[in-house]
Amino acid sequence: MTVIAASEVHGLASISDKELKTALSQWLDNPPRRIDRLILQCLLAAAPLKSQLRSNCGLYLASAHPARATMGALLEAVCVQHKQPKPFEFVNSVSNAAGFHIAQQLDIDGPNLFIGAGEQVWGQLQALANLDLQEGLIEQALLLVCDERGDFCVQALLLEGAITGAYANSFAELSVGTEVRRINL
Amino acid sequence: MTPIYLQRAALHCALGDDLPSAARALQAGQPPQGEAFVLHEVHESRNYLYAAKTGENLNERLDRLLGETLGTNPQALDDCLLIVASTSLDISELEALTRQQQGFHPEDSTPLDLLANQLRQRWGFASAFTLNTACTSAANGLLYGARLINAGQYARALVLSFETPSAIAMQGFGALMLTSPSGQYRPFHPDRDGLLLGEAYAAVLLGRESGDVPLARLLGGFSACDTSSLTTTREDGSHIHWVMQQALRSADCTAAQIDLVKLHGTATSANDEAEGNGMRLLYGERLPALSLLKPWLGHTLGACGLSESLLLLKALQSGPLPGVNYASQAMLPFSAEPQTLAADSLLLANFFGFGGNNASLILQGCAHGDRA
Repeated sequence: MTVIAASEVHGLASISDKELKTALSQWLDNPPRRIDRLILQCLLAAAPLKSQLRSNCGLYLASAHPARATMGALLEAVCVQHKQPKPFEFVNSVSNAAGFHIAQQLDIDGPNLFIGAGEQVWGQLQALANLDLQEGLIEQALLLVCDERGDFCVQALLLEGAITGAYANSFAELSVGTEVRRINL
Repeated sequence: MTPIYLQRAALHCALGDDLPSAARALQAGQPPQGEAFVLHEVHESRNYLYAAKTGENLNERLDRLLGETLGTNPQALDDCLLIVASTSLDISELEALTRQQQGFHPEDSTPLDLLANQLRQRWGFASAFTLNTACTSAANGLLYGARLINAGQYARALVLSFETPSAIAMQGFGALMLTSPSGQYRPFHPDRDGLLLGEAYAAVLLGRESGDVPLARLLGGFSACDTSSLTTTREDGSHIHWVMQQALRSADCTAAQIDLVKLHGTATSANDEAEGNGMRLLYGERLPALSLLKPWLGHTLGACGLSESLLLLKALQSGPLPGVNYASQAMLPFSAEPQTLAADSLLLANFFGFGGNNASLILQGCAHGDRA
């Protein structure tokens, strides 16, 4: 297994979605509309890797939490104001919408999984990706982990070739020897 | 892929509070009636297919389901992975909290792996994670759980999948105008008018050996993302066709060998059109037997990959599948009469979802007492 590229986005809790969109527009010509904060954060980490991606790539994405603002808006609308949800907010909440938008924007067509990010998340993502890499279903695997507890951090790794040996437990361990593109907001 | 057994399973759904009674209700041909709810703002009535009300909270319900799945005197689970496949997770509890305090605070948000972690600790699983790929969640849980066993990562995997009666889901699908005003759940009918949502809790234990009461063997499957639209797949059926082909290839079998296709069949205009086209691309005019499960369970969203598979496999073990009472009008050649198939029939099961998620599984049923 070779780590081809890595990126890491750090942002303050005070960074607005509008500022995230502005930052994203530096990487994508035509960023999607009506997307929530989680999707923006994940796209920001994935977009810098676009030039190194091939279409036969799987995406293995993890987040510790759902998009809190989206969840809050849906709960307030339905349970307090007794309104119908806004369709785009609802769709963003029930699907792995971040994974879809990354795949669409980066033009990758392999398996696309979304898991909750717990303590073993990097090992779990590698295990899932390795199934597809080992069987030759994909040539590359893009691994992303989003963590937003106050400030946020999204880390992305692009791998090629099956993983042999024990899985690494962290982004730092996986990205040793690889230049990490860092975005600080 | 090396076949993996669905060793033991449990299901709570609108058709029954256990898997055998749900299968009997399916074969009796009596669809659940459901209960009405009202769409906010437009004040229109829709039906929802609830599981039996038991008074249990979610943790109690999931513990009972796991107990039923594992049986009496289960062995330690320290060799077993837990995959929680659900789109709703604890949303019903968050909805209750929001109603109670008349608002939602960001700090009320719970981690996506909260339930998986709690269940891992209570039951002693080796590891656990939450998987959410919309309506393919459980199908992907089955496929990747089985493949992790084959890779030697775990000796066993338990896939736990559920959808609770979430107000957000009911109102959200209503807002998208995907729920049926008529209350008639008729996939592939020319006048279909949308879906009915359903509540379900399903679990299955996967392993290399058959166990005492195996339901089926998972022979293969495939899952990929159609990036053409967030909410629909390509209407020409080309992506669905490709996914089904890849699933067949992974199971080392051909479309002609398939005895029965379990269609996704949401009864929404776009999905049925795309799936019908995908089926025609794969089979032309000579289709195998076809099955629809959503009219019996409702659309159980992230759980449908498991709730529908378990119900179908259990029913195959015990008798004929019900006919489709509008078969003569349907877009695909369904049987109007009950269909009797061998319990060890070869099945292709389709599951599609928002986010471009398309998945197909290849399963072979096990007759009662069929062991490796």
